[in-house]
Amino acid sequence: MAAEGGAGTLLEAASSAQFQDLLQRPDRSLVVVHFWAPWAPQCIQMNNVMAELAKEHPQVLFVKLEAEAVPEVSEKYEISSVPTFLFFKNSQKIDRLDGAHAPELTKKVQRHASSLTLSSGSADNEKEDLNSRLKKLINAAPCMLFMKGTPHEPRCGFSRQMVEILNKHNIVFSSFDIFSDEEVRQGLKTYSNWPTYPQLYVTGELIGGLDIVKELEASGELDTVCPKAHKLEDRLKELINKAPVMLFMKGNKQMAKCGFSKQIIEILNNTG
Amino acid sequence: MEPSGALSAEALRERLLQGLEAEHVEVEDTTPGRCATSFKVLVVSPRFRGKALLQRHRLVNEILSEELKCIHAFEQRTLTPEQWAKEQEAK
Repeated sequence: MAAEGGAGTLLEAASSAQFQDLLQRPDRSLVVVHFWAPWAPQCIQMNNVMAELAKEHPQVLFVKLEAEAVPEVSEKYEISSVPTFLFFKNSQKIDRLDGAHAPELTKKVQRHASSLTLSSGSADNEKEDLNSRLKKLINAAPCMLFMKGTPHEPRCGFSRQMVEILNKHNIVFSSFDIFSDEEVRQGLKTYSNWPTYPQLYVTGELIGGLDIVKELEASGELDTVCPKAHKLEDRLKELINKAPVMLFMKGNKQMAKCGFSKQIIEILNNTG
Repeated sequence: MEPSGALSAEALRERLLQGLEAEHVEVEDTTPGRCATSFKVLVVSPRFRGKALLQRHRLVNEILSEELKCIHAFEQRTLTPEQWAKEQEAK
């Protein structure tokens, strides 16, 4: 069952041999495989997401594989739940995503697909492309952590400690697993003149590694350096205390968007 | 003498003392079993004056750029002589 055409490619792998075949297709260097089950509604949803992504990324090959129908492959890649997504470049597994996280899947596809464009062009161009890619990455979120593994599964003690400190301080951050991309792993060291990981960036500026973050924590500066997760309650508290008199209304002072709000404005204005 | 190529806490200490005109350097081999792939260093140098932490760490990283290629885990603290003196007094 192929939906092949100019619009993008979403194929089904029904056997181990077929799967191997698809991985080795010379015209696609990035292959995204969805391990799914027909009885799981999240999987059906994610198949739709895959179809959409296929339209957007015609250079990427999207594959559906029914996990229980092709157990050899599922076992080989230790698929224990559905949906799970694996990313392959040149037949090598480069990334994995567990669960029905459409935004995360989209992000990963974009990220891995964007690095494909690096394979063409002269060495100079490649370097320029890598640098602009790194710049984009360190600016991908107000607070970006480049680490070994993921916040849920750090794969080095320093990265783990970093995540713990950031979480302890309610700091909102996005992360990049440098094990998922050797090019970024090596490139960022040179780009930022910093030889080790984890690396923490705020608005694209390198803050430092774990030692520095620990010192910032000890001196109390960390809370001012990094953007904090605002709890709703805190936000509300801040808002109602913003001025001695606060009016929460429909519209604004100049243009009230409801009669009651308008009347209150008038009353307040009249009392001076 | 160390066999050439092998890292030792003492060799790192020498590099830092010379490279950063350091007044005080402590190097600890933090490798389990002390097989010299993890180190923790404290460097006290006047060259850190007026420099942010990031710049200080970069200085250390530069001095040890060759060594860092073989080091698996590296922790550092960088203090000016004034900060170091204050810390000693507080003890």
